[in-house]
Amino acid sequence: MPPRLRLNALRTTQPRTTHYVCNQCRHASLATTPSAPIEQHSLPAAATAVIARHPPTQPPSYKPPEFRKSQLHRQYQSTLRSSPLILLFQHNNLKATEWSGIRRELTTALHKVDDDLAKSGAGDAGVKVGNGVKLQIVQTGIFASALKVVEFWDPSFAGTTSAQDTTPTPAQALGAKHGLSNDAYLAAKKHAKTQKHGLEPLLSGPLALLTFPDVSPQHLKAALSILSPGLDFPAPKRRVNPGYHAKPVQDGLQKLMLLGARVDGKVFDTQGARWVGSIDGGLGGLRAQLVAMLSGIGAGVTSTLEAAGRSLYFAVEGRRGMLEEEEKAASGLKEGEQKEESPSASSN
Amino acid sequence: MITKYITAVSTAFSPFNARTGKTVRNFLALLPPNARSKMAIDVKMFGQAEAEKPASLSLKFKDGKEMPLDLEKMKLKDIQTEVDRHSRTLRRAEELAG
Repeated sequence: MPPRLRLNALRTTQPRTTHYVCNQCRHASLATTPSAPIEQHSLPAAATAVIARHPPTQPPSYKPPEFRKSQLHRQYQSTLRSSPLILLFQHNNLKATEWSGIRRELTTALHKVDDDLAKSGAGDAGVKVGNGVKLQIVQTGIFASALKVVEFWDPSFAGTTSAQDTTPTPAQALGAKHGLSNDAYLAAKKHAKTQKHGLEPLLSGPLALLTFPDVSPQHLKAALSILSPGLDFPAPKRRVNPGYHAKPVQDGLQKLMLLGARVDGKVFDTQGARWVGSIDGGLGGLRAQLVAMLSGIGAGVTSTLEAAGRSLYFAVEGRRGMLEEEEKAASGLKEGEQKEESPSASSN
Repeated sequence: MITKYITAVSTAFSPFNARTGKTVRNFLALLPPNARSKMAIDVKMFGQAEAEKPASLSLKFKDGKEMPLDLEKMKLKDIQTEVDRHSRTLRRAEELAG
């Protein structure tokens, strides 16, 4: 049967699959008067060029999205972007009872810090950082890949979507702006050859992360005193916290090694992490110190600049005073002389 | 790796040294979960600045043999071979003793 619809006239781009249409069929429709369907006229031409062949909730990804590793990759990217403070530990064959004991001690210590901050009113009202802290084991290889994507791929969202721009570009229509996409994978792979994010040597062997939703030195101090105690962050005493000194917890803690930290995208080693934890008064205190220092510097600069003028003023004033004194003395002398002369003259 | 006959492990390394840090860390990860009660494990970690400092790993066995391992030349596989070689002799001796 000859084709009822004349699609050749409406097609603006090259058709993806070119079916051969014989001459007869091509011109057969000219003999009849087909009624053009309504849909053909109302559709804009661009929309027929790109049809999204995937649901908007599942754009195409480099690896199949149903794999567990793809979902872990997404989770790790989200963790890396949302946690400004991450501590990296190596966990050497910890048992489940040891893990649960350690997590229990950690949560009690962090809740104690939250309560102290709430009582003293120093922390942000109602924000409990301790609730968002998580100690989780990560798959090192997938974590390394997610870190590469987070560090080296930059989805420039600016300038793509606007209210007027309703016709999707092919890249958008295919959903390229997400961390699992082909673009993200290729960008990460390319840049990883030349740039380094600093955590590469740590990403080997069994890895566990302690993630904080906010950079809070007080919470970090509590966490370090539980997980890697030392002279600067002493562990709780046996009488105060007997649960901490139970065998499972102590055995587990011996097998945890603090390797380093990632704070605001920068890499710190163990000493650096301890330094961040030792900041007094948290970030609020640090900001207050900075403000005081800056205002102190400002006062110093103004006083130095003023000092030149001030000292000149004092020098001039002093000189004027001296000159006046000299004048007075001179005039006093002269008067004295005159007085002496006049009585002598009058006496003579 | 046969870890039954190791009595003490003593290491010093920097996790930021890609070569030696990974070797030592993966060696420590090979120790079984109940190892800590049976052997003395001493770990000393250097910082990021001291990444180039030479790392050391030395083991002590049940028969008193001390085995210092050269991390510059050996990778994890070589270390495993060395440990297994000595452990197998100890195992055979133990089996023969009954």
